[in-house]
This record gives sequence, C-alpha cells and structure tokens, in this order.
Amino acid sequence: MPKFTLNNQEIEAKPGQTIIQAAGDHGVEIPHYCYHPDLPIDGNCRMCLVDVEKMPKLTPACTTIVNEGMVVRSDNPRVKEAVRGVLEFLLINHPVDCPVCDQAGECRLQDYYMVYGLHTSEIPLNMKVRKRKVIDLGPMVVLDQERCVLCSRCIRFFDNVTETGEMKFFGRGDHVAIGTFEDRPLDNPYSGNVVDICPVGALTSRDFRFKCRVWFLHATDSVCGGCSTGCSIRIDHRDGAIFRLIPRRNPEVNKSWLCDEGRLSFHELDNSERIQYPSVKASDGTHATVSWQDAVSSVDSRLKEIRQSNGQASILGFASPSATNEALFLFKRYLGTQGTTQFEFRLDSEDKNVIQDEDKILRRVDKHPNSMGAIKMGLVSSELDGIQGAINSARAGRIKAGVIIYFKPLVRRDNDDEAERRIRELIAALEYSVVLAAHTADWQTAASVVLPVAAWSEEEGTYTNFEGRVQLAGKAIEPDGDALPVWEVLAMLIHASGAESPWMSATDVFVTMTEQESAYSEMRLEQTELPGVVVR
Amino acid sequence: MTKILLANIDKPEQTSIARYRERGGYKALEKALAMEQPALIEEIKASGLRGRGGAGFPTGMKWSFVPRNTNKPTYLLCNADESEPGTFKDRLLMERDPHMLIEGMVIACYALNCHVSYIYIRGEYEFVAKTQQQALDEAYEAKILGPSIMGKDFALDIFIHLGQGAYICGEETSLIESLEGNRGYPRIKPPFPATHGFLASPTVVNNVETLAALPWIIENGAAAYAAIGTEKSKGTKLFSVSGHVAKPGVYEVDLGYPLMDFINNEAGGIANGKKLKAVIPGGSSVPVLTAAECDGVLLDYESLLKAGSMLGSGGMIVLDDTTSMPETLSVIADFYAHESCGQCTPCREGTGWAAKILKNIVAGAGKRSDVDLLLKIADMMEGKTICPLADADVMPIRSFVTKFRSEFEALCKA
Repeated sequence: MPKFTLNNQEIEAKPGQTIIQAAGDHGVEIPHYCYHPDLPIDGNCRMCLVDVEKMPKLTPACTTIVNEGMVVRSDNPRVKEAVRGVLEFLLINHPVDCPVCDQAGECRLQDYYMVYGLHTSEIPLNMKVRKRKVIDLGPMVVLDQERCVLCSRCIRFFDNVTETGEMKFFGRGDHVAIGTFEDRPLDNPYSGNVVDICPVGALTSRDFRFKCRVWFLHATDSVCGGCSTGCSIRIDHRDGAIFRLIPRRNPEVNKSWLCDEGRLSFHELDNSERIQYPSVKASDGTHATVSWQDAVSSVDSRLKEIRQSNGQASILGFASPSATNEALFLFKRYLGTQGTTQFEFRLDSEDKNVIQDEDKILRRVDKHPNSMGAIKMGLVSSELDGIQGAINSARAGRIKAGVIIYFKPLVRRDNDDEAERRIRELIAALEYSVVLAAHTADWQTAASVVLPVAAWSEEEGTYTNFEGRVQLAGKAIEPDGDALPVWEVLAMLIHASGAESPWMSATDVFVTMTEQESAYSEMRLEQTELPGVVVR
Repeated sequence: MTKILLANIDKPEQTSIARYRERGGYKALEKALAMEQPALIEEIKASGLRGRGGAGFPTGMKWSFVPRNTNKPTYLLCNADESEPGTFKDRLLMERDPHMLIEGMVIACYALNCHVSYIYIRGEYEFVAKTQQQALDEAYEAKILGPSIMGKDFALDIFIHLGQGAYICGEETSLIESLEGNRGYPRIKPPFPATHGFLASPTVVNNVETLAALPWIIENGAAAYAAIGTEKSKGTKLFSVSGHVAKPGVYEVDLGYPLMDFINNEAGGIANGKKLKAVIPGGSSVPVLTAAECDGVLLDYESLLKAGSMLGSGGMIVLDDTTSMPETLSVIADFYAHESCGQCTPCREGTGWAAKILKNIVAGAGKRSDVDLLLKIADMMEGKTICPLADADVMPIRSFVTKFRSEFEALCKA
C-alpha cells in the first residue's frame, strides 16, 4: 500500500492506483474530462494536471501511478493556472449555447468554469471554429460537434466496451471532430451510454432532449426492471412522470452502463391503459368497480369457501417474476394462510433463462427483474412445472381457484404474446381467479376479481438479480388511480383472513422476510443499497 | 573538415550497389558482422553519436535500453519522416546515397538482434522512396538483406512505409501508431518504445542521418568519430540551410563549428548584400536567434542551448534585414496549427488560436493586447501536452515576440 502526500495530507493508495483514483477515494476531486473509471485511460484533456515533486513538468493525475513517498499538489498556483488555462482553451471554440443545451445543469464545462475558470473570454465570436451541429446518430443520440471537448470517452466506449468502433476522430488540430463514418447511425444496443459519459452537451439523448431542464428533475435510486441483470439506475422524474433512466455506477453489476432497451423501458409503462380501481365480476358476467375493502373481503371469503369444499390443493398461487421480493414474500404468506401448496411463477423457462446471457455486456434473456427472487422464495412447483402445468391442472378440475400476479414485461420480446395468451388460458380455465395487475388486458373480463397494483417505479422494494444480488429500488412516482403496491394488497388480504398483518411499509416486510426466509437471513436493508448484497 | 555523410554524395551513380561497393561500401558491415553484438553497442556508445532527428539523445544509450533475450521481437524503425520545416538532409542521403542508410540499418539491426525493420518515409517523399526501394532490391539481390545476410546466420527484412503527410508522425510514438495502422497520435510515456514500441515490442527509432553515420564509425572506429567535434557533441552534423543565403543547401560540418563562419563561408553569406537579421538554427520549432546573439555561437548541442536556442534537426533558416518577423512567425504558427494532431487540449486549441491572432496582426487588424495574449497562450500551452508539438509552437512564438516585440506592436493599430 503506497503512501503519498496530496496537498499536505498523507494518503494511502491501493497498489497500482493512479493519483486521480487515490485522490478520489479520499474525497479529493481532481478535475477531468477524459478520465472515466470504466474506460481505458487516455490522458488527452490535460485537465487533471498536478504538480509532483521531482517531476519537472506538470503531470496528468490520470496517467501517473502513485509511488511510495510521492509528494503531489493539486491546489498550488502553478496547477490552478494550468487547469484554468486548459479550461480557457476548451471554451475558446465552444459555442456557449447553454440556454438551448440539454446538458446545462450537469455540464462539466459549466461546473469547472465556476470553480477553476471565471475568466473573461478573450476570443471574439467571429474567430471561433465552426463545426457541424444537430447530427442525427440513430435512435438514441444526437451529436453537436461544436460543443465537444474531444475527450474521446465515446470513442473509447465503442472501441472497448461494445467493441463495435463506430465513432472516431476526424480531421486535425482545432478542426478535429468526433463522428461516425459518413454519419452512419449508431446501430448498437448500448449507444445511449455515450450520452451519459459525454461530459458536455456534444452527445444528447434523442429521447430526453428538450423535455425538461435537469434541475427540475427529482432523482430516485432504483434497479432496472428490464431484465434479470438488475442494473443500478436512477429514475429522473417530475410531477409524477418519468423523464429518463440513467445508470448508477455499480462495479459489481453494470459498471457505468445500461442497455438502450433498459434505458427506454419506462415508456412501456404508458404503452397500455392502467387498471385504476378494484373490480369484481358479477353473476351476469359484468365487472363492477368496488372499494378495496369490499374487494378484499370478497376474495378472502370466496377463497375460504373453495378451500373448504375442494381442499387446499385446489388453490393456485401464480406469482410474477417482476414483483418485488416483499410482494412475493407476502404472496407466499397469504396463500399459506389459505393452506395453498401449489405455487408457480414460470411463464416460460425463466428459471433457466435467468442466468442466460443475451450478449456479452449486460443483457440477459429473461426479461424479468426478479425471477431469482421467485426461485429463492420457492415459488416453483415440480408437479406443475410452469404455467402449462397449471393450465392443465385447472382444466382437469384439480385446481379451482388462483391468485395471479401479472406484470407486462418492460422490455418486449416476441414470446410476450405467448405468455399473455397462457395467462388468458389459465384465467379461463379457473373457476375463480383473482388477478393483481397494473395494466389492462383482454383477459380482464374473464377474471373474477381484478386488483390494481403499482407498477415498477411506483413502489419501494428489493429485487434479486440473476446472481442472487439483492438490490433496493426506491419509489419514484405514484401509481394511477386507487392502485396499491402488491405487498400492501396482500397485507390487506392477510388482515382480512384474520391473521396478524403488522406491516406498515415495504421495509417492515423486508425485515420479516429476513427473519423467516433463509436465503435472506441476517440481511440488513442498508446492504441492499449500492452495490447490493448476494443471498445465501 | 571530415566528410562522413556527404563524402560520396556528388559521385556519379552512387545509388547503385556496384558503385557504392567500389567506393568502400558494405566493408563496415562485414566488420560489424564479425563483432559480438554487445561489443557493437559499446562501440556506438563510445563514439558519442547522438540522435540527429532533433532531440540529440545518445544513440548507444538508446540501444542499451532495449531488453535482451525477451520472447518478443525487437524492431528498428528508421525515421525518415523528415517534416520539420527547414530540414531536407535525410532526403539528400536517401536520394543520393541510399546504400549508406541500408548499411547503417543492417549494422544497427545486427547490434539490436532485430530481424524486421521499417523505413518510415514521409508521404511527400514518394520519389525518394522509389530510389531507396531500388537500393533495397539490390541489397536483397546481393544477399545483404534476406534470410542470411552476407552468408551469416542472421535474417533481416527491411520494408519501406510511406506516411500520409502528417508532421506529427515524425514524433517516434506517433510514427509507431501510424505504422501500426492507427491515427498518428503520440503515446503517453512511460512505457517507452524501448520496451513497448511497435506492436507492443521493444523498438528503437533512429533518424536517417544517425543510422547513416554508423558505417563510418564501425569502419574507422569509435575513437576516430569521437575525435571530431566538441567534448559533448561528437562527430559531424548535416545542416540544411535555407533562407536569405547565397548558397542554400545541405552542408556537413564538424560539430562545434562557429555559426557565423558557417553562414559566411559555407553558405556563401547573406544574399544580395543584405544584412543578417536573425537565424533559426535547428528547424522551425527552435527559438530564433538575433544577429547579435549569433556572435560566438558554435554549432553544437551545448553552445546553441547556452545561446537560448537548440541544434534540433539542423534545419537552419537564415533571415535578412528585410524580413518581417510577424509575417515569418505567422507562417510558422500556421504550420503548427495545421499539424497539431488535436489530441491534447492545449496544443489543439492553442496552436489554432495563436495562428489566428498572428494572422490578424499581420493583416493590420491586431489589438495591442494581442502581443501579450500571444505570450499568455504560449504559457498556457508550454509543457502541458503529451508530445513536444505544443512546445515547438511555443518556442518560436515566445522568442519572436519577445525579441522583435516592436515589430509586432507596430502592426497592432487597434
């Protein structure tokens, strides 16, 4: 562990760490554009120059590995003037069009100018180098060459992370510009990441641009609901609407990246109509809106009747691999009070797909965020062996009633329609069906009771990803209408059944879950924050 | 004065291997091949030969940094990118005496245990490359190159690679990048090419003039070479003289030869009876010397450094008293703005900005504050980039502006 001195403070660095990394670990931010923790080091921006004793020239903190006894200054007048100079250089040809730039508010040029710059521009407008603006780079990205600081982060991303190499430098001197060959679109499932890593407004998001100034947005830490990888993300939202999803750096899961499908997955929430109120099917086959209290008591009494006349094996619990662990835990518990032994969640082969890679970077075949949670909760039946077994059992009359949680996947695949068809078949085959769902569907009228629940991003809870990593997702926005989080609906049902239902929040449920589920035993909620904790 | 490099430069048909051999060519190689490799490196060290491309780093020492007995191949790259404005000596050597370079390269490759070598020739020298390629073909035919050089169990191939016209590719790490097929961007050092160069293997990059001096050193011995020149600057050096002299051209003189004697005796003095105003002694990127500063200066690494300039590549540009220094500087600054690779912020933005300001000044549209702004830009650029291109712009800017400030101010009316 080499020790070195940074601004008169002795710091211990990890072996092989560069000055910028060691300083960052100790809360000293050395300004930079081109350095990125998940990309190879390039050293081109010269913003991180520091003064190292016995080195004649200033040296970049991003390329210089800490040596024992090194004496480094990042705050002396020599460094400050050098950094100011680099910033002035970066701004001479910059259009300074912040009022119409989407990056404003989260721009490194703006931020550093306030700290290191504050100089008056000495270059008249007509002397600035003009470059191309508003270049369409495909479905995710728009390029403005004038705003670019040429840090090469985007180039290095495509060269080293996706290994597709779409972006390059063109030209020389102050006419260098980034771009794709002949403006070809970025046809790449991870292209949106370059918008995040662009430190300035050169690469902006086609989806998000001009929608909202970033300082009006509220941020909620969450986990992507698009597949079983469970990338750490941040939901940026305002007035109950989600504006964008961006990755949070999680070295254990997604580094700094997020796939484009995951990034846009929140739009799926608005793609079909929401179920707003509980409804019960009357004897004439029409659905009538009822209060939560009426819905819950009717479900509980009907399930009790069926159990008494047909036995406990006649009630099926069909869970969703998109529900939170807390929801799944109370689901199992509620149906347990009904004596149910028949649990399933598999619409397809989620138990196998959950670990299956879709590509070498992040995406997995299973498009549900919590299949591993359902597996760990034991919601699989070797007898039923998936939804087809449940349908067969219902058709054969062995299963009479079912409580079903169903969420539409946020990332669509061709077999989604097949899954939905099977749900419809299952409902049709059941004598009595209670469906907890967020979005309307054509099976709705066939269900005996429909209970509206919060969708992804609308409730707090944990998800267990493909490797068993449990991660906390916060609640960003309110659900539509009277919809409630799944755990809350189940807590009401448990209460209605006469059992104790002491939970006031998802956190309360989590605590009970850690006491009763061996996979989650001794887990503490704070461990589920970045980078998450792996189940036993 | 001893002629080492230009001894046969004007002899007829010197480019043919037969004439080259008649005049003593490839004798040194025979001698070298009889020596042990480490002894050969020691010999070059003892000669005091320094890199003639501009930096003046001791050649033998550079060779000794290459690790021996690695499992990676070692590469020798001949830097024939000669792109420093005012420099045209390597071109003469390759055009008129190409076998001398080949002989030097084979000696170096043998010393370094290198079996594949490249000559990186600037794109504009396509015609030079043709001459050099013919010489290589002859050398292959004569079994001086190929699977067994001069009957010895040592294989060597030399290939020519033409650059595409980028000044920066004369910098050794961008030359390597370019040769690898990448954009010509200088690399961050360390690691140095001696250990991680071409194809991440040990690599030596030597200038044409450096390699061409090797046959003479081997033939006549390190001591004979070291006897020429000054204490620290050994041997002879080629100077490409251009500008306002009566006889521009390439001259070979012993290092330590007085600058003014060189201009007056070798280069024929200032043309048309004009007076000397200034000299850029080592290529456009070194600081300019005023006529007064040239007095007593010797043409060697140390004396020029002491005088506030550098020997550089020996591309001497002589300026008479009719020269407009702002115009001259503007031309130089345009060159660096055009040639900056654009990798590092200070160089990319600074070279372009300085060139525009100078254009304004020359056009009579400059402000008085522009003169100080140029010096400020020079400070903001200096020593803050990966390679020395920014410094190569800073040196002329700072020296021109400080030494001839009144000329700049006279043009700044606004």
